[in-house]
Amino acid sequence: MRNMTALVQNEWLKLTKKKSFWVSPALLVAITGLVTFMLYKFGTDVEEMGSGVAYMAGMLGASGMGQFIAILSVVATSGIIAQEYAQGTIKFLLIRSRSRGEILISKYLVVLLYILMMMAIAAVVLFIVGGMAFGFGGTGEQWIAVLKQATYGFVYSLVYASFAFMIGVLTRSTGVAIGVGLTGTMFGGILIYKDFYKYVLFPNADLSVYGNMGPPLPGMTLGFSILVLVVYVALFLVAGYTVFRRRDVA
Amino acid sequence: MNLEQTNHPNSSQQVSHEQPVLMLDQVTKRIGKKTIVDRLSFEVRRGEIVGLLGPNGAGKTTAIRMMTGLFTINEGDIRIAGQSIRKQFKQAIVHVGGIIENPEFYPYMSGFDNLKQAARMTDNVTDARITEVISLLGLQEALHKKVKAYSLGMRQRLGIAQALLDRPKLLILDEPTNGLDPAGIREMRDYLKKIAQSEGIAILVSSHLLSEVEQMCTRVVIIQNGKLVTEHNIGDQKNATLLPELRIRVDRPSAAVQILKKLEPVQMIEVKEDASELVCRVADADMPTLIDALREADVVVYRIAETKKSLEDEFLQWTGGNQIA
Repeated sequence: MRNMTALVQNEWLKLTKKKSFWVSPALLVAITGLVTFMLYKFGTDVEEMGSGVAYMAGMLGASGMGQFIAILSVVATSGIIAQEYAQGTIKFLLIRSRSRGEILISKYLVVLLYILMMMAIAAVVLFIVGGMAFGFGGTGEQWIAVLKQATYGFVYSLVYASFAFMIGVLTRSTGVAIGVGLTGTMFGGILIYKDFYKYVLFPNADLSVYGNMGPPLPGMTLGFSILVLVVYVALFLVAGYTVFRRRDVA
Repeated sequence: MNLEQTNHPNSSQQVSHEQPVLMLDQVTKRIGKKTIVDRLSFEVRRGEIVGLLGPNGAGKTTAIRMMTGLFTINEGDIRIAGQSIRKQFKQAIVHVGGIIENPEFYPYMSGFDNLKQAARMTDNVTDARITEVISLLGLQEALHKKVKAYSLGMRQRLGIAQALLDRPKLLILDEPTNGLDPAGIREMRDYLKKIAQSEGIAILVSSHLLSEVEQMCTRVVIIQNGKLVTEHNIGDQKNATLLPELRIRVDRPSAAVQILKKLEPVQMIEVKEDASELVCRVADADMPTLIDALREADVVVYRIAETKKSLEDEFLQWTGGNQIA
């Protein structure tokens, strides 16, 4: 456990010590502020929105800032393995008394932390700018909606980040992982009306649909989608681990 | 850490004091259909500095990557302080410090932060030990600079520092003097000799600089086409009964030859008329006789030198000579 904490600390430092690290959070803050301002100025009826907290709930999900967080998470995740190869530091990392499995787990945990951090930043910014635009204070029901939407948003980002994580392990290329990962997030919006498509990752990634609009395809339920996502994420991790554990590192 | 050894008292080889720090046992590596390393076996013991030599493509780097767990092993095994790198990777690798190819670090972090990264992947490295290693390698001044601003020599030193952090029993260095200037090479060499002697660390060095290896190592292992060609101790005469070979420069070589041929203990080898030199073998005890004989015949001796076969000559002889590493 202490070993794992130290490994996670290492990975977190590798991520955050880069100067470019703060670009993504800054972008998230800026876009969140801008979108809120535009909605306030040109679109939304302040009365209709109710409160800043209700607005926050609406924006945290995959149809709001959750989508943007997913994209930024894919970008951050893609380099987490590939960069070690590009820098040659993979050798520095693997000739220690730590198994490759432990190394991979610590990297994946940092991906989780990163998404959590981004969700937290988005939540705080949305609370502030949403409150300023639509009034602070919200009902308990609205706060529960926030928690729900935050969970959906987190799951959405996690699914695509896990996908990019695996691609990064398999290809050792940051560029390919970003490209494939982002293409994945775009497929989320496309529906193919065939029965097999409900077993594909993309229509299942956004769990918030069950709250607002009902299943994207007939026969899909919240439980079904959760199961599909668990299977896919497990598959990504097992595939990544299997390849990473045995691979010769030149 | 050594539980494994005490648990198996019946395997006397493992408990023995003379257990090699590094032991390759019939190690084979195939990539596709090509056999890169072929049943390679050798050992490195405590306090030894062993040079791993071979022409390009001989399998040096592959062998080193297997020792450090970067490459899988197809057949055979590698033991470090008795622990199998295949079966007990963590227990084996804990005894190894290494630089594989170039010392690579996170360029956007300082040297100190990079050492901390390495330290967090060990169980016993304290801040005091980090400080100790830093002063040992004279890294104090550059410590808080980003690694991307380091010269290659500085990076090499940082590489040694991270390798030594966890007090390894075996140091594996792939081309350690690569890219260093002559002063840096000498510094590195002296430093490695020092730690081999003072701390009893076994060191395996792969290099293509033969004169380097000759000055640094106590023993060399020469491989070619993935196979062991020979191993021998540096400084050993291959044939101790052989008399030393001398080159004698004189003013009149043809006259000198006539004199030396009459001397029983002298074995003439050749005469180099153009260089005014004679090459012969003679025991130290018979040297005065030889010199007296030449002086009596008024042959002027300008120079007497022993011709030593360099490691390079031997290396070329062993590996067929057509492809220098």
